[in-house]
Amino acid sequence: MDLVASLSAHARATPAAVALAWNQANWRYADLDRAVSCVRDVLRARGVKSGERVALLLRNSPQYVAALYGTFAAGAAAVALNPLERAEVFARQIRHSGARVLVADPGHAEFERLRAMLHDVAVTLIAVPTPDVPDALEQFIAVLGAVPEASPVTRAGNSLALLIYTSGTTGRPKAVMLSHDNLVANARAIVSYLALTPADRGLCVLPFQFSYGNSVLTSHLVTGATLVIEDNLAYPLRSLQRMSDLAVTGFAGVPSTFTLLLTRCRLRDYDFKALRYVTQAGGAMTRTAIARLREELPHTQVYVMYGQTEATARIAYLPPEWLDAKAGSVGKPIELTQVEICDSAGQALPIGDTGEVRVRGPGIMLGYWEDPEATREAVRDGWLCTGDLGHLDTDGFLYIDGRAVEMIKVGAFRVSPYEVEEAIAQLDDVEEVAVAAMPDELLGQAVKAVVVLRAGAQLDALAVKSHCRQALATYKVPKVVEFAAQLPRTMTGKVQRLQLT
Amino acid sequence: MADALHDQIRAFILENYLFTADTSALKLDDSLLGRGIVDSTGMLEIIFFIEEQLGVKVKDEEMIPDNLDSVNRIAAFVESRRKAA
Repeated sequence: MDLVASLSAHARATPAAVALAWNQANWRYADLDRAVSCVRDVLRARGVKSGERVALLLRNSPQYVAALYGTFAAGAAAVALNPLERAEVFARQIRHSGARVLVADPGHAEFERLRAMLHDVAVTLIAVPTPDVPDALEQFIAVLGAVPEASPVTRAGNSLALLIYTSGTTGRPKAVMLSHDNLVANARAIVSYLALTPADRGLCVLPFQFSYGNSVLTSHLVTGATLVIEDNLAYPLRSLQRMSDLAVTGFAGVPSTFTLLLTRCRLRDYDFKALRYVTQAGGAMTRTAIARLREELPHTQVYVMYGQTEATARIAYLPPEWLDAKAGSVGKPIELTQVEICDSAGQALPIGDTGEVRVRGPGIMLGYWEDPEATREAVRDGWLCTGDLGHLDTDGFLYIDGRAVEMIKVGAFRVSPYEVEEAIAQLDDVEEVAVAAMPDELLGQAVKAVVVLRAGAQLDALAVKSHCRQALATYKVPKVVEFAAQLPRTMTGKVQRLQLT
Repeated sequence: MADALHDQIRAFILENYLFTADTSALKLDDSLLGRGIVDSTGMLEIIFFIEEQLGVKVKDEEMIPDNLDSVNRIAAFVESRRKAA
């Protein structure tokens, strides 16, 4: 049973159970199922065929969930656009994915600019606002309009369901292809180790368009549980109050989420008796921060986890009872999944040796969209080469020791230095540029750019940042821009990014 | 009404989030979150700015959109705290 079938099953068995809780409205399972059918019918009526792509530009909202599952139900594949990006990136990804339809929120800050860029792209635009109002469901259905009910669509388990764009090591777009089987297997594994039941109410503030947020979403809906939706954490006190008021049982965060909460809020002032667990993934959190979190939330279990979009989301988790004995570990593989540590030739290394983490299991992606070469490099004989360095201990617990490639991690977002370099290199005054990570107290890492100007050029740091903001998501804009006479290079002329910081 | 306080707040946001000195890029009533000018971390930096540069301590319960979501709201909040002090 795939995600759509299990949603329909819950809608029949417990129609009145709340599927999605937003500020002004609750969507019950029957409501969500109705909205999903409506999206499916509209897409089919617009001629969307099985396997075709439907791009979604919607913030975290019940409307996003309905559009995502409606796309699945239509047999099409959703392209989850990251709302933090800019119009240029959306247009590039829409072209690259060959999306037939774009479902977009006209309230998005980049909506008008994007629409102007789409004149030469054969894409049908369906504008769907995402108001947080009591009658959001009725408005959603009215906006989509009445169409005849579509005939049933059969979906093969191994067919494409979702494309998630990630930061590749080159400038070209890289989209992870996930199948219906990938999504449901990973969601079920998460349900199993978190012991989720229909009584659970998980709060998700993480963007649904990334694998972690998507896994929180799918694992709750596959169980018949309630997902409490937030679309930002700009006012953490308000989110915490809501968590307490709604007796939320689970909360998912990345290290910067917890840093924010531990820095600015007194968690122990709230009534979090119902909060059964919190999960943490998206990069290493310091032992001090984990200890503080446990101190502030004495009745709550803390799950440290590890994953990658290429593995749908989750690869490993540390059972909370092992937090002390195995401090620093990301735990053991999730069900039906195996982890190996290999040398660069792909040979398994002895216990304790550090090498590349490789993963096999039902969550491993189909590949990268229209990029067989990158797919061959990433997935070899069914094993995903994660690009992460790690080792296993004698009890089979995994430890992550670093990244094999030069990716910058801002909060939980992966930023490719190449993408930022390419954006800066577009400026006429720039002779050359190199981008690297710099330490950042809150986010772990931030982006730093070192720029070599052309002779006689006048360009200041603000102008470089301003240009980046036009072209890149805000979290990719360099926090520091420095100017230098030349870049540090190796004997062979390769730029040494590590020398920049 | 734009006085020195409004100008200082606007200049901070322009320089740190919009990377420009062009004041027409940010209206005093623009929603910082709604226009995608700041995210969660940006809001935290704005709170540090209010505390360190404007000398007003922001209490936990004061971290709400009414106090922080536009130049005008930040200025009104800072003024009211300075008067109360």
